[in-house]
Amino acid sequence: MVENRPLLNFLSHLLLILGVAVVVFPVYVAFIASTHGPNDFLSGVVPLWPGPHLLENYSQMLTTGLSSSGAPPLLPMMWNSLIMAVGVAVGKISISILSAFAIVYFRFPFRTLAFWMIFITLMLPVEVRIVPTFQVVASLGMLNNYGGLIVPLIASATATFLFRQFFLTVPDELMEAARVDGAGPLKFFWDILLPLSRTNIAALFIILFVLGWNQYLWPLLITTDPHLYTVVMGIKRMAAVADAEPRWNIVMAAVMLAALPPVLVIVAMQRLFVKGLTETEK
Amino acid sequence: MATIELIDLKKNYGAIPAVKGVDLSVADGEFIVLVGPSGCGKSTLLRMVAGLESVTSGRIEIGGRDVVKAEPAERDIAMVFQNYALYPHMTVRKNLEYGLRNRRVKNEEITRRVQEAAAMLEIGPMLDRKPRELSGGQRQRVAMGRALVREPAAFLFDEPLSNLDAKLRVQMRVEIRRLQRRLKTTSLYVTHDQLEAMTLADRLVVMNGGLVEQVGTPVEVYERPATVFVAGFIGSPPMNLIDLDYLRAQSAGTDLALPNGTDLVGIRPDDMVLIGPVEPSIALKATVELLEPVGGESHLHIRLAGSNQLAIVRVPGRPSFVEGSEISVFARIGDLHPYNRASGNRTD
Amino acid sequence: MQGKRTVFPNKVLPYLLLLPQLAVTIVFFLWPAAQAFWSSFQREDAFGFKTTFVWFANYTKLFADPVYLNSFRTTVIFSLAVSLLSLGIALLLAVAATRMLRSSRIYSTLIVWPYAVAPAIAGILWWFLFNPSIGIIAYVLRRFGIDWNHLVDPNDAMILVVIAATWKQISYNFLFFMAGLQSIPHSLEEAAAIDGAGPTKRFWTIIFPLLSPTTFYLMVINVVYAMFDTFGVIHATTEGGPARATEILVYKVYFDGFVGLNLGSSAAQSVILMAIVIGLTVVQFRWVERRVQY
Repeated sequence: MVENRPLLNFLSHLLLILGVAVVVFPVYVAFIASTHGPNDFLSGVVPLWPGPHLLENYSQMLTTGLSSSGAPPLLPMMWNSLIMAVGVAVGKISISILSAFAIVYFRFPFRTLAFWMIFITLMLPVEVRIVPTFQVVASLGMLNNYGGLIVPLIASATATFLFRQFFLTVPDELMEAARVDGAGPLKFFWDILLPLSRTNIAALFIILFVLGWNQYLWPLLITTDPHLYTVVMGIKRMAAVADAEPRWNIVMAAVMLAALPPVLVIVAMQRLFVKGLTETEK
Repeated sequence: MATIELIDLKKNYGAIPAVKGVDLSVADGEFIVLVGPSGCGKSTLLRMVAGLESVTSGRIEIGGRDVVKAEPAERDIAMVFQNYALYPHMTVRKNLEYGLRNRRVKNEEITRRVQEAAAMLEIGPMLDRKPRELSGGQRQRVAMGRALVREPAAFLFDEPLSNLDAKLRVQMRVEIRRLQRRLKTTSLYVTHDQLEAMTLADRLVVMNGGLVEQVGTPVEVYERPATVFVAGFIGSPPMNLIDLDYLRAQSAGTDLALPNGTDLVGIRPDDMVLIGPVEPSIALKATVELLEPVGGESHLHIRLAGSNQLAIVRVPGRPSFVEGSEISVFARIGDLHPYNRASGNRTD
Repeated sequence: MQGKRTVFPNKVLPYLLLLPQLAVTIVFFLWPAAQAFWSSFQREDAFGFKTTFVWFANYTKLFADPVYLNSFRTTVIFSLAVSLLSLGIALLLAVAATRMLRSSRIYSTLIVWPYAVAPAIAGILWWFLFNPSIGIIAYVLRRFGIDWNHLVDPNDAMILVVIAATWKQISYNFLFFMAGLQSIPHSLEEAAAIDGAGPTKRFWTIIFPLLSPTTFYLMVINVVYAMFDTFGVIHATTEGGPARATEILVYKVYFDGFVGLNLGSSAAQSVILMAIVIGLTVVQFRWVERRVQY
């Protein structure tokens, strides 16, 4: 800020408060809805203050779910989401850091070709190759299992580029010193490179965890067995019946529960997350 | 403890030669300094000995063993890098231990060697700190310590002092020399700083354009530069190089006693004096262009009469000369260095 | 391509290190993409017994199909609306937040968290707010005489999905604008102030032009987001309706392939989408190159 302008400051605050209000409003309403009984909506409008049914609604969602929707209780679905999110994050980080290590620290025929093949995945999001990818997964017998949910998603050009970029900034002499000190490639990777990449790995993990948790189309295609539903896609099934039955209160409890874990991760690790986001994508 | 033999060693990067055939015998315990301008191939040569660059052709023997195909770790060498290359996430102690652990040295032995090195380099109090908590000079000591604990057959130094400020550089230079005298470990040391080279070396290897120009003790190299390049490179300010024809014309009648083939004559700025000596000498007329006081002495930049030839004369103290004034300078016949311009070699 | 001055001499190890990544890439990315490409030239009969090679028939049929062209139009409107709205709001908030000395961090935290909310959930949240019978916003609108019903009215449905998709994307754009604004040297603004430029003038003549690399980058990313990542928003709420008013291309590929089982047409649509992503990626990287030369 260059000069002091009280009016401008006031307007800025006003704008920000308004912005925050718009951002928070839907979630606030959803939270309020999730604390009421099923009949509180029949008057035609959602109440604006919390009701007394918070624990009841949440525990019902977590343990028994909305039976008429064909979706299981939230707890197993959240477990599936957790496995998928961690699986996708760990998988992407592992195979990307290995590829980046190979591309930066070795010279071999087809090195550039390998780099471009990884690059191409950027241009092929799941959404544009839905049917054939489904067919491949089906023919490999990977429908309705965790492998099918996770493995096809773990190729990652962005993660590979991030690690490559980082490795290029690691001084050459570090690797040379390690070689003189008797470390082979894998020992150098494990003893030196991996510990140096800690911050990058952590930042990337946060972003990829959120990405994995929020997958929607992929679990929709791969899982027909309710035991494997993830929570984000499962909620859609509940919302679909919620219009027929006045059960919005517990559907909103489910929405809150589905959104909470990734939001908590981001708020708790804000600094790392911001670093990871702005550095991965630029 | 080992000898190092380099036999017709060559290195090409693609079609571009970086080292064009170097032969060198390093005696056991000798301190060899490779010196030359940047791009002369001295670092490449050192890195080939370390095993960090592949060898295009030729042989490298360390302790009588051909190591051209050996990994750096198998060559029994330790290296000190210009930027130290300390592992940033490890404490000083871990940095020192790393190479020993990889070689499965026994724990008690590791502890002993680390303590010894820490005492020798006075880094004991820093053993549990991370490199980023150390000053530049301390990091340099740790880098030395990491080489020391290995007790290798040879030390390789790649411009280890050039990241230090001037004062620390002098201090560490003395320390390196002292340590090497004490340990008597064969050492190869690369630098572009001729003062460092002169003070550290048992023998100097002056390199230029991928070739060795001269090998010799610092005194030999200074007193008898083998080539025009060495004459210009070693010594500060550099040797004055003057056309023989010009000298002949100016000193008609004086017998310069120079061998056949000489067409260029070198005179060190120290060997030019303002008062005619008793010994046979030549006298040159010149104009003062600039007087540069550098503390206890001054550098007198002159232009030789009737030519565009510039020269530098080193004079004690701070004499008062008016710029543009005419003076005479003298040089003893015995102090002339005769060269052949075409071959670049000394002719005597 | 860039690498290290010295490299490890191993001949086989690098291939082993690359193997997992390349295996996943080939099996789940390249092979299906090739399949899509191949089947876009084929037609399968109603029972799936016979496939015939039909050259570009699937493509010509698509571009003659008003439903597909309508989906194209819907996608363009939807993407532009989401991109422009979320960029505009995010920029406004980011500029206001960078003015704050102490409170900017708190505001950031409060604005940033929707990044972690899945598009599908964002859709359901707004679907609930606008719900014609119980939604609070629908209720307020009714008080103003607007009879909101996104189940029947195509415009209402479009506005709903645009709002939901925009709401989620503001956080991302906000973060990048913040980073961009913070990287502009403070001295430039001070110099402009000394030259007599007021805050508004400074913004348009100094800040906004210097921010243009960020804005351009975000524009591409936002279009990609709106075209592809918003599948969840649509699928969880309007399902493309009413009367295909919110049927964006990605939703149509999914619907034709999985529900309509028209594989040839779905494959051709996939190939067209691939071409669009490739085009956008090229634009983005051309720009990165240009920025590097700066």
